Amino acid sequence: MTELKHYFAPTSLDQAVECLKDGDVTILAGGTDLTPQSQAGRIRIKRTLMNIRHIPQLSGITLEGREIRIGTLATITEIMEHPLVRQHLPVLVEACNHFASDQIRNAATLGGNICNASPAGDTLIPLLLLDARVELASMPEAKLYRHSMPLATFFVGPGKTRRSLCELLTCVRIPLPGEGHVAHFHKLGTRPALDISTISIGIGGTLREGVLTNVRVAFGAGGTGARGAEARCRHHRQGRRHRPRRGRTDRRRARHRLVSQGNDP
Amino acid sequence: MSLKHDIEFTLNGVKRQASVDVTMNTLAMLRDVIGLTGTKYGCGEGECGACTIQVDGVSLNSCLMFAVDCDGRELTTIEGLANDSKADALREAFVEHGAVQCGFCTPGMIMQADHLLHKHPHADAECVKRGIEGNLCRCTGYKKIVDAIVAAEDGQRTAP
Amino acid sequence: MSVSEKKTRIIEPDSLIGKRIPKMDAPEKASGRTRYIHDINLSGQLYGKILRSGRIHALIKSIDTSAARALPGVHVVITAADIPDQRPIGVARDHFPLKVGRVRSQRDEIAAVAAESEEIAEAALKLIKVVYEDLPVISDPEDAIKPGAALIHPEPHGADGTHLHLKQGTSIAHRGKADNIAMRFDYAHGDVVKGEAESDVVIEDTFRLHYVTHCCMGVSGMIAEFDASGNLLMYSNTQVPFLHKREFAEYLNMDPARIRIIQPPIGGGFGSKLDIYPFEIICLFLARAAKRPVKMLFTREEEFLASPTRQPVLLTLRSGCKKDGTLTFRQVHTLHDNGAYTSWGATTPFVMMQTFSSLYRVPHCDYHTAAVYTNNPYAGSFRGYGNLQATFAIEQHMDMMAEAIGMDSLEFRLKNAQDSGETTGQGMVFKSCGFKDCINTAAQRSDYSRKFKENEANRGKPGNIKHGIGMASMLHVGGGAKIYPSDGCGTILKMDDFANVTLITGASEIGQGSETVLSQLVCEELGLPISAITVVNNDTAITPWDVGVHASRTTFIAGNSAIGAAKKAKAKILAVAAKKYDAAEADLDLRGGFVIKAASGEVVVELSKLLRNLHFQDKAELVMTTFYYEPPSVHQGKDFKGDVSAAYAWASQVVEVEVDTDTGMVRMTKITGAHDVGRVLNRLGIEGQIEGGMVMGQGYALTEDLMIVDGVMRNPNFRDYKLVTAPEIPEMDIAFIESMDGEGPQGAKGVGEAPSICIAAAAANAIRNATGVRMFELPFTPEKVYRALHGQTPKRYWKPWKAE
Repeated sequence: MTELKHYFAPTSLDQAVECLKDGDVTILAGGTDLTPQSQAGRIRIKRTLMNIRHIPQLSGITLEGREIRIGTLATITEIMEHPLVRQHLPVLVEACNHFASDQIRNAATLGGNICNASPAGDTLIPLLLLDARVELASMPEAKLYRHSMPLATFFVGPGKTRRSLCELLTCVRIPLPGEGHVAHFHKLGTRPALDISTISIGIGGTLREGVLTNVRVAFGAGGTGARGAEARCRHHRQGRRHRPRRGRTDRRRARHRLVSQGNDP
Repeated sequence: MSLKHDIEFTLNGVKRQASVDVTMNTLAMLRDVIGLTGTKYGCGEGECGACTIQVDGVSLNSCLMFAVDCDGRELTTIEGLANDSKADALREAFVEHGAVQCGFCTPGMIMQADHLLHKHPHADAECVKRGIEGNLCRCTGYKKIVDAIVAAEDGQRTAP
Repeated sequence: MSVSEKKTRIIEPDSLIGKRIPKMDAPEKASGRTRYIHDINLSGQLYGKILRSGRIHALIKSIDTSAARALPGVHVVITAADIPDQRPIGVARDHFPLKVGRVRSQRDEIAAVAAESEEIAEAALKLIKVVYEDLPVISDPEDAIKPGAALIHPEPHGADGTHLHLKQGTSIAHRGKADNIAMRFDYAHGDVVKGEAESDVVIEDTFRLHYVTHCCMGVSGMIAEFDASGNLLMYSNTQVPFLHKREFAEYLNMDPARIRIIQPPIGGGFGSKLDIYPFEIICLFLARAAKRPVKMLFTREEEFLASPTRQPVLLTLRSGCKKDGTLTFRQVHTLHDNGAYTSWGATTPFVMMQTFSSLYRVPHCDYHTAAVYTNNPYAGSFRGYGNLQATFAIEQHMDMMAEAIGMDSLEFRLKNAQDSGETTGQGMVFKSCGFKDCINTAAQRSDYSRKFKENEANRGKPGNIKHGIGMASMLHVGGGAKIYPSDGCGTILKMDDFANVTLITGASEIGQGSETVLSQLVCEELGLPISAITVVNNDTAITPWDVGVHASRTTFIAGNSAIGAAKKAKAKILAVAAKKYDAAEADLDLRGGFVIKAASGEVVVELSKLLRNLHFQDKAELVMTTFYYEPPSVHQGKDFKGDVSAAYAWASQVVEVEVDTDTGMVRMTKITGAHDVGRVLNRLGIEGQIEGGMVMGQGYALTEDLMIVDGVMRNPNFRDYKLVTAPEIPEMDIAFIESMDGEGPQGAKGVGEAPSICIAAAAANAIRNATGVRMFELPFTPEKVYRALHGQTPKRYWKPWKAE
């Protein structure tokens, strides 16, 4: 049973943040998490259900200066197929490719994935490696107010973020990775995608003349929550291995053995 | 009493209206409000793909979509695809290749396969297997389903 | 036109047998038009929902349904108290549909509601208040047999506190039991003591088989309606409509003649619909009380919780052989977790003893088993029915014994594989037998011997990916199984004025393609295209009796029944044609829709024309025939011996795996199967059955694990119960051995269950080949394999135990 009294589908960001003022709002984006959770009674829908899918400012993937801006409503499929992402952020494509199923990728939004902050959220790891920032909008007084923070700060713990109830996540901004940047995402599972991650991990850094610096490691499932770390990790390369995939171009993979904090499931 | 909302959308090419419970999912709307039972309930959690439909040109699980979110959108269900001659080759391939046993997963499979072939008209077996990874089947072991989808792309599919 | 100018038309011979024939219902299913039980709605119907226990083992102190009854839209709320003459169900009659006095497992049914909508029914359930008093939970069958263990079905107490020992013949549900033994079986042939004395090698190991469940894509459901005269109409997905008709009548205290069961197309069976379940009786109670049709459907979670599982088995096998490779004896003890109530899981020993006694030549065999009550979910019948569990143990021992005597494992198997003409210790008479052909074919096609040696040699080499190859074979009934008074099937056949056939058969279609195979057999007999036939098979008011879809019997028995009726029709047609066209019956035949001269293929008359002439003449006649086929098998004696099936079938499967020793992940890369099917009827259909069965076996071996902890099901959903998905399937190479069974329809034997049976055993052998480590417990998840590879899994031994 819900306390639901209003359904609202704003068509502008101003309308949305105005509605969010009283904080008693459940936000509907892709719905792939909200639908089963609310039907099973694990999430109670609040007084207002606000569908943000009709707000144009929340969509789109664009290059703005030296940043890629991904709107909160971008679906996982849209992200992994976008030329900008494929060219500049292959580790994000890698994670998206291991996300659920095609049907869910077509509907699940980046914003939803971020705000759920599940340790098993696959997109979160590459975003942390890439030093992504989230932008939040609200209307504390009479007009639209935006502020941003690093994703690593945005996450507080499993399922917990710094988004207050009257804020809306509008987009994610990712700085274009520098020269020599490499990053990989790995998810442990017997299936290519459909498993919710039991252990997931990402590692990125700058590779120059065979040496990896500025290493960033992000743990997802199996750790204590998605978080990044400036890692002084004990690692040794096992050399580069060419692993040609059928029908795809060769990709170089550097294999690293890490100190794993994964708990045995 | 539960909150209702009126929506207007296009279903299988026909514009229509519906009055739906705001908390209802699209699968329940299709089956119980509109009365189209071709789309199946398999799990209600997006894990089995039996409820797959197409919305604005992409496939998704109708059990994971709020009915109110259909407002202003274009939906295609298996009933709509059954009347679409471009999908004939796919349907015939399923029949000819023995890809149907109990048939319960079949509508969802075909909806997903149709979408997959639109995006990847020359999908090979590996691409098809990844493409239907969100559709469970307990009867066939998937092999003939994959064969059918690969064969269909050789049929009379036209480019989107 | 003069006689000499008249052109004679020749019809060339053709056959439907062995062809790839698409399933007749496939076009409807591919269009989403097929109406499954979920899609059927009767006007005026109410929706039924069941309140399930909130406890695992507890006394029911009180149930207050007043608030539920008062909810607008609720028509009926029932508990056991409302049905004082409730009768217990199940083979042991230990199971009240609505629980009386206590709950014994998580899925126990406490109360039920019929309401205007599903939503209202669910809301009503939440308003029912139940007070429980918890009892200790028994979640391990080994605990259930310890002296002093709490009883799951204790004998009732009288008012003065003493035990009431009710008389034998009263059901267990009423009189309880003095112990937790639900059922036991003892079997022997030969003398295992002698067998052991003759052995040069004796090995003994414990194997543990886990819980898995059917996961039919269509959830369970039923619609029940009593008409104005009290006749009952049920829409049910039962696989045994005639048996159920009789049983429902008993449970409702009705005349079976007043019960009609209609079977809508089913969303998967696999043996899950062979027993009567509480929800079905409860749905009938609701319909009777509400005087309205009641539709009851499970949610997927309920489907996990309340469907029967595969029988979990704890098994200790002691096997012996001589150093020349001859098998000497098998001694087996098994413990079956019966769960809280008895269903067909408890009777899996019937099939297991067939495997223990007769898979390979075994002169001496001894098998003791007990099914014991616990507070876990109960097991039912599931494709393969105990044979997977037995084969898992036997086929690992075959590899182990071969290694112990230094014999090649293939040679060892061939030495002990039976031939046609042999009779086993259990009394099975092998007529058509392709066992050795299966082994050789699977081995050759997979290059088994070479790969086996190569993989062994690679074990110690560097690299984390190891390849393995393993083999296992299976024996299963292929010509029905005479476990019921009759193992037969009836057919009614009629032909219309246009030479179209209607085949009315008692055999149900459960997605396996029986409808198409039966059509093929009849059209082959009558020389008609497959488009000329309609099959009616889903209404007990119309179709003749069939015992049901189980034991892989339908093609064989319903097939022979259909052919019998078709042969009679053909004989009548040819007799009429012979008379009319002045020919000898023996010189005529039916082909391509015509009556022809058998020798030349020359057309005599179009069949439809002949039939119209027959109909519209002075002595009008139609072609209508019937046939009841009872297979020439026998009932087993009290010692479980006898030739229980009219034919037996074999399969050998070679499984190839890739083991990542860093992570424990096992990938099944290829399955090569050789199946003795007697004869291939519908090539498309049989391939589909085998591929599906192989992948089901893959799930059993690698990915599926229904986790029950302290009686609680931890993963009743697809997110955490892992069915095999499309990207995970192996390459499948399937060969058919056509041993042409003399009794089988066109020589065919049953195959429905065969393909799942040996996969886990072959996978175990493959993992051993790859890594040197042998896995005795299922499933082979990465965690389990990793631990085994690192020596972290103590080898468990279960001391053989026999119920006294």
